[in-house]
Amino acid sequence: MENFRPEELIVEHGSESSRIYANLRRTLPQVPVKFVDDIGSDANTHFAHRDPFGAAKKKLYLTRYKGDFFKKCPGSDGQVCCNYFVINFASNCPMDCSYCYLQEYLLDNASLKVFSNVDDLIDEADRTLQKHRGVFFRIGTGEITDSLALEPYTGMVRELIPYFAEQLNVLLELKTKSDCVDSILDLDPKGRVVVAWSMNPQPVIDLDERGTASFDDRLVAARRCQDAGYRLGFHFDPMIEYRGWEADYQTMLEQIFATIDWHRLSWLSLGVLRETPRLKRMMRERFPHSRLLTGEQVLCPDGKMRYFQPLRVEMYRKMVAWIRRAAPTVKIYLCMESRDVWQQVFGFAPACEKELGNQMAPVD
Amino acid sequence: MSESEIRAYAQGRGFHDQTLTRWLGWERTDRDALGELASGLKIGENHLRDMMDWLEDTASRDHAKISQILATKAISDLSTDPRLGRADKVKRIKEHLRRLRFPRLAQTEDEIRTRIQSLKLHPEIRVSVPPGLEGGRLHVEFTATSATELLTIAGKLRAAAETSLAPEIFELLAGTHREKERE
Ligand code: SF4
Repeated sequence: MENFRPEELIVEHGSESSRIYANLRRTLPQVPVKFVDDIGSDANTHFAHRDPFGAAKKKLYLTRYKGDFFKKCPGSDGQVCCNYFVINFASNCPMDCSYCYLQEYLLDNASLKVFSNVDDLIDEADRTLQKHRGVFFRIGTGEITDSLALEPYTGMVRELIPYFAEQLNVLLELKTKSDCVDSILDLDPKGRVVVAWSMNPQPVIDLDERGTASFDDRLVAARRCQDAGYRLGFHFDPMIEYRGWEADYQTMLEQIFATIDWHRLSWLSLGVLRETPRLKRMMRERFPHSRLLTGEQVLCPDGKMRYFQPLRVEMYRKMVAWIRRAAPTVKIYLCMESRDVWQQVFGFAPACEKELGNQMAPVD
Repeated sequence: MSESEIRAYAQGRGFHDQTLTRWLGWERTDRDALGELASGLKIGENHLRDMMDWLEDTASRDHAKISQILATKAISDLSTDPRLGRADKVKRIKEHLRRLRFPRLAQTEDEIRTRIQSLKLHPEIRVSVPPGLEGGRLHVEFTATSATELLTIAGKLRAAAETSLAPEIFELLAGTHREKERE
């Protein structure tokens, strides 16, 4: 995976005493640092650039987060939701996938930020988890950033794992396309941390997942995490349909199951490429030659474009069959799909999001 | 069609700036080819935007030029067919471009349509599928003016549902028909 070298580190006053700041200075000693009272105006300088979103990834901001860290995952209208909560410790991502929804979601707030007040994050999580002891929380950290891509520089996740490892009603999911796991391998996750890789065959990575780790490197990192006691998950999301996709995805699955002990997998998810028409226009501007633009996608009732239903159901059913051949009882769920599609793929649809969330709870 | 003519055409029909900018951003031959078609058929913005989406994607996928797509015999036949009125020409050209852009979706829709027709249902029973086949459901619509008529229609529907065509339609909607073919 490419090393991250921001052009500048911009630190808001009040963050320089944080552990994250110390880590950044230690790991990025050659990067110039600027201190500002308020990152507000500085964080908009990328707008002048021809590719503002791409430019926003080149500077790193360190600031305190002033809102609530802990949120319910918004899901998508009318789709079966997996009862997921999110904690955002950073915003935007140093990698640059053509289909990344952050291009649209963070359009007006695209600067790459890391939040320094990790103690506040833990305090807030603790209040919520203590208050709802009877509720099982599946918490993700990769909704508006990649959970591990900045870890070699910030050490953020290393700060979080010891706390979450002690909580009985939690699974903390770290979702990534990186291979940045070195700094967490010596920690004991106590079965409470899932490191989950978003996986695609190498031809998809080469064309549309710029700056991410290769398939082989992700798989090696996953194996190392499994050996270190972490639970694993894989998200085959977004699945891309192209001539020859079947052979590539089958080979990918074979390699994964030859490397990983599937009995210790927490879950697998499937989801096809999806984007709003607005995101598609942005993709067209930033990546005009991407083959993702020319798939047979139609507008769905939730406002997102997906491969037309018979095509994507066929894709899901094939993936499920290939997975089941190697791992007959592994938990598989669909990400952001309607009950109709669940029904066509699995022959059932979860009655409610809580049911799906509970299915994801650890059994031991 | 020159740039100023395209501007005048777009302004005359109240196009959004975004649409005009996008159109003018095309290569000259592509821009002009669409201009000829649009002005000849007085195509409005919504139709034109759909056509632009499909043309851009098809050209990119097939490594072709938009002007080449617009110069094909199918398009020229449709745009000059004396039996068709202006609105029908636009409709048929759009459908042609949509089929080029979504060949497998169009093929699946055709296969479903053929089977629905083969069910030979009474004209008062209307069977349709959702746009883009999203939702995977067959819509069946009918009206009755008496219990007897309702029973007759229900009987015809039942007979249709018991043919081999009905499961085939649902297999096509669910994307499972090819699994059967492979068995
Ligand atoms: S790794 Fe994830 S967050 Fe980063 S650019 Fe890709 S899709 Fe976006």
